[in-house]
Amino acid sequence: MRTALLFVGRLLARWEVLLVIAIVGVGIWSATLSPFFFVRANLLDLLTPYAFIGLMAFGLAFVVIAGEIDISVASILAVSVVCFSQFYDAGLNVWLALVAGLAVATGLGCINGVLVGIFDLPSLAITLGTLAAYQGLAYVILPGEGVAAFPESVTKFGGGYVHIELPIALLVLISFAVVLGFVLHATRFGRYLYTIGSNREAARFAGIPVARVRVTVFALSGFMAGIAGVVYVGYFGSARADAGQGSLLDVVTAVVLGGVDIFGGSGSMLGVFLALVLVAELRNGMQLANIAGDTQNIVIGVLLLTAIVLGNLTRAIQARGLPSIPRRKGVIGNATASAGLAIEPETEVKGR
Amino acid sequence: MSRRRLRFGGLAICLVFAVALVTALTATAGREAAGHKGQNYKIFLVPKLIGVNVFTENGKGAKEAAKELGDTVIYNGPTEAVAAKQVPFINTAAQQQADAIIISANDPNAVAPALKRAAARGAKIVSYDGDVARDARTIFVSPPSASAIGQFQVEWLGSQIGYRGEIAILSATPTAANQNTWIKFMKAALKKPKYRGMKLVKIAYGNDNPTDSAKETQALLQGYPNLKGIISPTTVGVAAAAQVLQQERKCNAVALTGLGLPNEMRKYIKAGCAKKVGLWNERDFGYLAAYVAHYVLDGKLTGKIGQSFKAGRLGMRTVVVSDGNRPVVVLGDPLVFTKANVDKYNF
Repeated sequence: MRTALLFVGRLLARWEVLLVIAIVGVGIWSATLSPFFFVRANLLDLLTPYAFIGLMAFGLAFVVIAGEIDISVASILAVSVVCFSQFYDAGLNVWLALVAGLAVATGLGCINGVLVGIFDLPSLAITLGTLAAYQGLAYVILPGEGVAAFPESVTKFGGGYVHIELPIALLVLISFAVVLGFVLHATRFGRYLYTIGSNREAARFAGIPVARVRVTVFALSGFMAGIAGVVYVGYFGSARADAGQGSLLDVVTAVVLGGVDIFGGSGSMLGVFLALVLVAELRNGMQLANIAGDTQNIVIGVLLLTAIVLGNLTRAIQARGLPSIPRRKGVIGNATASAGLAIEPETEVKGR
Repeated sequence: MSRRRLRFGGLAICLVFAVALVTALTATAGREAAGHKGQNYKIFLVPKLIGVNVFTENGKGAKEAAKELGDTVIYNGPTEAVAAKQVPFINTAAQQQADAIIISANDPNAVAPALKRAAARGAKIVSYDGDVARDARTIFVSPPSASAIGQFQVEWLGSQIGYRGEIAILSATPTAANQNTWIKFMKAALKKPKYRGMKLVKIAYGNDNPTDSAKETQALLQGYPNLKGIISPTTVGVAAAAQVLQQERKCNAVALTGLGLPNEMRKYIKAGCAKKVGLWNERDFGYLAAYVAHYVLDGKLTGKIGQSFKAGRLGMRTVVVSDGNRPVVVLGDPLVFTKANVDKYNF
């Protein structure tokens, strides 16, 4: 009996489980608010307008787990999108233009990475600077009205549907969640991130190539902003210098609500994905009930605050009540991965 | 131990608040959900952003029209003027089986795919204020034409200074398309015999920023001691210029006109620092857009040039051609705010 209770307690203390409960709860609430919510087309289309935000959040999650922050992602998206459109407008093959746009995004992420990882500068200040600089760059590259005529072969990734109702953007989003989830939770690179995020000095002593990993993580974040840009262009059918503007808050919300510790060292891809679902569902439900946009913001804000308070609580429960899980900072969401970590890096060192 | 208890207590309070808030919101929201009966159309109005008086007035005007026509207007939109944030509102309007969507777009192209999807599900699309890509809507309801806005401002200034003397224009940025179009029509008007005595000496740019606009106004006053009047076709510029004139006690020496919001300009209009400031009637704007949407749904308006209809208290309106063969319904002449009428408007 006691073990059963303990099991339930441990399950409830897992952040992803709480998110699923919240998603179900909000779903029921939304269905009572509006008869249009619980309709297959609506449910399938729930995430499409937020797919580009999710893709940026996936990249940002890597950075935050490594103990850094990248607030320039929306600006990288803008530069990537305008580069893509300008290359295409200049007559380049659309796929080449797309790859070039992704390369630019990765390069801009790399610049962040070099400044933070190699010159050891604070990521908040650096990416605040590049946030402004990249945004300006986007306006320099494409001032004015922007480009709107892209071939369907590319726009389908953001705005296309399989069998009329299944949005391709949703498939793209889930694919990246799975692949990045694998990288984060099942590869050596992923384990390095948790170690660096928990204690950078210790990671260095353990022989982890800290600088290289940190540069890579920012490059990955830039690349994901580029991918988000492709979906953005597809869904909105428009490439302008102000693309992605105003989305940073939503990206950070998805990461924090997803249970990624803002101080680094813990978090899971599943959590970020579920958080995105929760926010999209909540917004959709309130919009279907025609609740005013400003009231929606209050609800999302309260949700975020509740998440932070609850996150603290689950961490406290895990640290106190469950001796099988190590007593260390930030175990929400990824108890098993973090627990494994405590030993992993050492075996790594021994192997050399 | 006590710290632990404190943490639980805090959490409990937070949760209670959250639940209370959510319940309160649900209660108010439930009442707004309106049914669709007979010929009563369900029309969604999506402004560029909400919480701004101009758009609130549009919404009130549209609701006024809806009441006369027996329709329902639902006014909702994002809190930031971002196209990507308008799209979910378009999607959910379509999901609610909207009969029509009226939109002022933040980006003419970015909202187009969503509007086309909504149209495919049976919604009619009418744009107003900020137009959308041509193939994504039936009709655009436009503010007063650029030529009217340009000419009227010259008249408003001329009538204050006896149609003679040096004048200047305080614009926004040198690249702002609407500003440059209006200035072009002002220059054309100044060539007419009636306005020949007015001499345009300088076009200054205040970047739609209060500080820059104030600096540029001061520079105009110093650089042109004989200056008789300023036209500022931007709400930011005209407010900043009025403030400078008031501070420098030049309200009687230099006349000011331009495009301004009644709420921002009221005190200057009453103090005589900007005797005539214009714009258009934002409430009528929303009212007209709702009438257009209704007649599009009735099949009376299909976007064909020359079709006409009675827009309630605004009288007859006709679909005309605008640049690029676009079907447009024009709101009418600009509206001038003076001491006598400024208190009637709230935006």
